[in-house]
Amino acid sequence: MTAFLSSIQRLRRIGPRSRKPEASRNTVRKEDWNATPSPITIAPDDPIVAYFLSMPGAIEIAKLHLDSPALRDLKSAGVTITIPLVSQGELVGLLNLGPRLSQQEYSTDDRRLLNTLATQAAPAVRVAQMVRQQRVEARERERIEQELRIARLIQQTLLPKELPSVQGWQFAAYYQPARAVGGDFYDFLYFDDGRLGIVIGDVTDKGVPAALVMATTRSILRTAAQAGDTPGIVLEQANNLLCPDIPPKMFVTCLYAILDPRTGRIHYANAGHDLPYQRHSEGASVLRATGMPLGLMPGMRYEEKETYLKEGDSVLFYSDGLIEAHNPARDMFGFPRLMTLMSDSADSVPLIERMLNELASFTGSDWEQEDDVTLVALQRKVAPENKATPSKLPEASDNTSNDGWHTLESFDLPSEPGNERQAMRKVGDALQHLDLSPKRIEQLKTAVAEATMNAMEHGNHYQTDLPVQIRVLASETCVAVRISDRGQNADIPDPQTPNLEAKLSELQTPRGWGLFLIKNLVDDMRVTTDQNHHIVELIISREGDSHASQNA
Amino acid sequence: MSQPNVVMSVRHVDAKISIIDIQGDITALAENALMEAISQANMPSVRAIILNFGGLEFMNSGGIGLLVTLLIRMNRQKQHLLAYGLSEHYKHIFELTRLNEVIGVYDTEVGAVAAAARLT
Repeated sequence: MTAFLSSIQRLRRIGPRSRKPEASRNTVRKEDWNATPSPITIAPDDPIVAYFLSMPGAIEIAKLHLDSPALRDLKSAGVTITIPLVSQGELVGLLNLGPRLSQQEYSTDDRRLLNTLATQAAPAVRVAQMVRQQRVEARERERIEQELRIARLIQQTLLPKELPSVQGWQFAAYYQPARAVGGDFYDFLYFDDGRLGIVIGDVTDKGVPAALVMATTRSILRTAAQAGDTPGIVLEQANNLLCPDIPPKMFVTCLYAILDPRTGRIHYANAGHDLPYQRHSEGASVLRATGMPLGLMPGMRYEEKETYLKEGDSVLFYSDGLIEAHNPARDMFGFPRLMTLMSDSADSVPLIERMLNELASFTGSDWEQEDDVTLVALQRKVAPENKATPSKLPEASDNTSNDGWHTLESFDLPSEPGNERQAMRKVGDALQHLDLSPKRIEQLKTAVAEATMNAMEHGNHYQTDLPVQIRVLASETCVAVRISDRGQNADIPDPQTPNLEAKLSELQTPRGWGLFLIKNLVDDMRVTTDQNHHIVELIISREGDSHASQNA
Repeated sequence: MSQPNVVMSVRHVDAKISIIDIQGDITALAENALMEAISQANMPSVRAIILNFGGLEFMNSGGIGLLVTLLIRMNRQKQHLLAYGLSEHYKHIFELTRLNEVIGVYDTEVGAVAAAARLT
């Protein structure tokens, strides 16, 4: 609480200015007028507060006898008389005056005038104090928001921009920061011999400090992993490098795995991070390995383990933001639920999408995310010849097949921007005599446009001499559009559900809707690739509304 | 055919609300046209912009990305984005992409303007 002595100064100035110059001699020196008085701070527990609240009106300081630090300050500042400024039962300031220039006592009229002035000034001072407090709070909120923006920017900048493209493997990743931004991170490290390093970590703490430690840890791990050492050695080196510089009470949980795509071997070590799960034909298992988090103490050793992924197997790496998410009843998502989900191999929904669906239904729509959620999944694909294709489409040269497919239309398009409109039109024309609803045809045409654009852009890189081949087929029960380009051996990523909130928060690119649209507009999308072509097959049922149209 | 196939015109309903009439395609190629229209629509006092999709012929994933970019820009300026005139197909696309949760979608101009007036 501060009493403003500036009011004394103003009152004292009235004297000399209102008098003739000679009358003001030896009363107040000019430098006294200009001196800025120091505010007097009154502690909330100072007994003078209670006294002031109980004694409205002008108070002579010399007559007060209290053990009060503020009273001593008032006396030493030369205050003769003070009028408490009280607003809504609260002492908001003091109107302090020194001795009159005439050296006479303050008169009854003076006191009445001062009391009136104090009565009117108190609410104004109170309002001014509240405005000032709100400004301070607004500046603090802005500072916190700015810090959060910086933390998000650091994380956004350092997370991988692309998923690995490895023949026979499918990768997916998801990162959703909490409002307070934790220190989650993941990384992919590429080795010359074709192996792939996978890192997932979580820094304790939140905001800018966590983001900076995350950035440091990422760099240290990248450096330590360069030599291609085993995961345990890399974590050991990273720990020793991190320990001297990490701030007190901070540490990093981290799992480092090296995948050999040719054999399916995953060699891994764990520095206190949540244990990954492996899904396989018999269910799911936990990938255990022991080790202390990074940055706690130097000289730690890290246990190394290995596992092998067969075709169809997958592994999920995740952060505690998933496991520790709460529902409205304050139940935790927890490991048993995750194990159950991982064990359900009958579900064909991509792993991360399934986890996010479960998380959303568990937490409910009003969930305020407590911590970052990071998921990294990898799956060893089933080789095309092993894939169950209940109704395999005929090869390009066949016009009919044993499965009853027949070709309605077949054409090539140069890879030029905008030609997807031609693809839509021709496919639409080819389907007009079939018993498909206009809605289904519109949906298929939009999916065809997206797949054609992808083929022209990503497969043929808009080289006009490389055509996109499109073939429209029909069977008794289905319609299929096969779109092939000249992309070679590069995998098309699994369609992910775009995170609109992350895009609007500028944490993800605004783009990236194509595959998602295709997947949701057709009943089935099959992707195959060989040494010369990418082939995308879009299939819809002719038997009434089905999967895609039910989304409408 | 790498030129944008779209024409946009701007109408000012009042000092706070502007309408952009879209005729043609919303794809990534429409970015310049859309941002130019937004600049015209964006008088200092404008708090809501309504997109009239009645003349929309085609929208693809690039166009959806463009709308997200526009939303980011308008969110920064604390403005509202609304839409009307979408066909059933593109209403479905808005629902799939959840754009309908962040862009107020209305059937008619009257409905959209009334909603914008309530927001501003």
